[in-house]
Amino acid sequence: MLKVIFTKRDVLLGAAGQLSRKCCRMGNCLKMSTSDDISLLRGSESMSVSGQDVNSEMFASDPGGGPIFQHESIQQVFYPTPSVSRPASTEDEQVNIKKAKRMGLIQHLPVGTYDGSAKKTQERECDICMVEFCVDEAVRYLPCMHIYHLHCIDDWLMRSLTCPRCLEPVDAALLTSYETT
Amino acid sequence: MSELQSSLLLKKQLAELNKNPVEGFSAGLIDENDIFRWEVLIIGPPDTLYEGGFFKAHLYFPKEYPLRPPRMKFVTEIWHPNIEKNGDVCISILHEPGDDKWGYEKASERWLPVHTVETILISVISMLADPNDESPANVDAAKEWRESYPDFKRKVARCVRKSQEECS
Repeated sequence: MLKVIFTKRDVLLGAAGQLSRKCCRMGNCLKMSTSDDISLLRGSESMSVSGQDVNSEMFASDPGGGPIFQHESIQQVFYPTPSVSRPASTEDEQVNIKKAKRMGLIQHLPVGTYDGSAKKTQERECDICMVEFCVDEAVRYLPCMHIYHLHCIDDWLMRSLTCPRCLEPVDAALLTSYETT
Repeated sequence: MSELQSSLLLKKQLAELNKNPVEGFSAGLIDENDIFRWEVLIIGPPDTLYEGGFFKAHLYFPKEYPLRPPRMKFVTEIWHPNIEKNGDVCISILHEPGDDKWGYEKASERWLPVHTVETILISVISMLADPNDESPANVDAAKEWRESYPDFKRKVARCVRKSQEECS
């Protein structure tokens, strides 16, 4: 699998290489946080964060011996730890809890209305749907101060807690703000 | 993101690519009534083994685009470590968003909703020029690329010739 990252902006700026290196560092930072509360929110499918958990989970789910790579959608049994397993229905419940927690987290991000004052073309449109903001339209502010249509970014944050534009992890910034208040 | 919004975004990109074509590829639809299935023609990048080739590929967009990535498949036969023998492209930016289970790819290396047909194809073209053999999709091609480069070159050259015949 090749890891090449280009975004619309990189193409515009011709600085793809530079950004992709920056992204890698940001990704590493994201992994360093090990708070339990946030671990439920991290990642769209996986319930575990640390590399070790992931490996043990992988081996535990294997009846044969070597590691097998199960597709996420067909996984029937959930292994919170190698020795504990739960039927899939409980997992569904866990997934719902995770979703609810993430929704709660997203609701903590400030909402505003677009005032039409953006000067740069880039800031006048939502980077997700590529449609220009209308004056008084509801927008959500991420900690990096990038704005998107409320419905566009909320749908995205349910899948990944990163700013699509600058790749800044949203949860890390929120966690910091919790700690300081 | 509704299906209507997804199709509007794709229509916008198609119109923009028709108006201002990007060097290195041309893009259109497989069926003009279906905005979710694209056909692209990639020109083998200059100064690479693929130079001179014309490689046709299909992009299949989900209704949730741009929240979810499209799948990409080469229709023209192509020999490359990161393209499966059946043509499926294996590139991290086309993988579902979020951190993956195995911790192999970071969220930032996976799909982002800011990707367009243009940025995807630029990544794929750069992949042609610069294969990654860390986790190859075509293990035989990767092994050849590493261990018997002349054989790898010969196979790519055959694909390039074949692609030219198919195009003419």
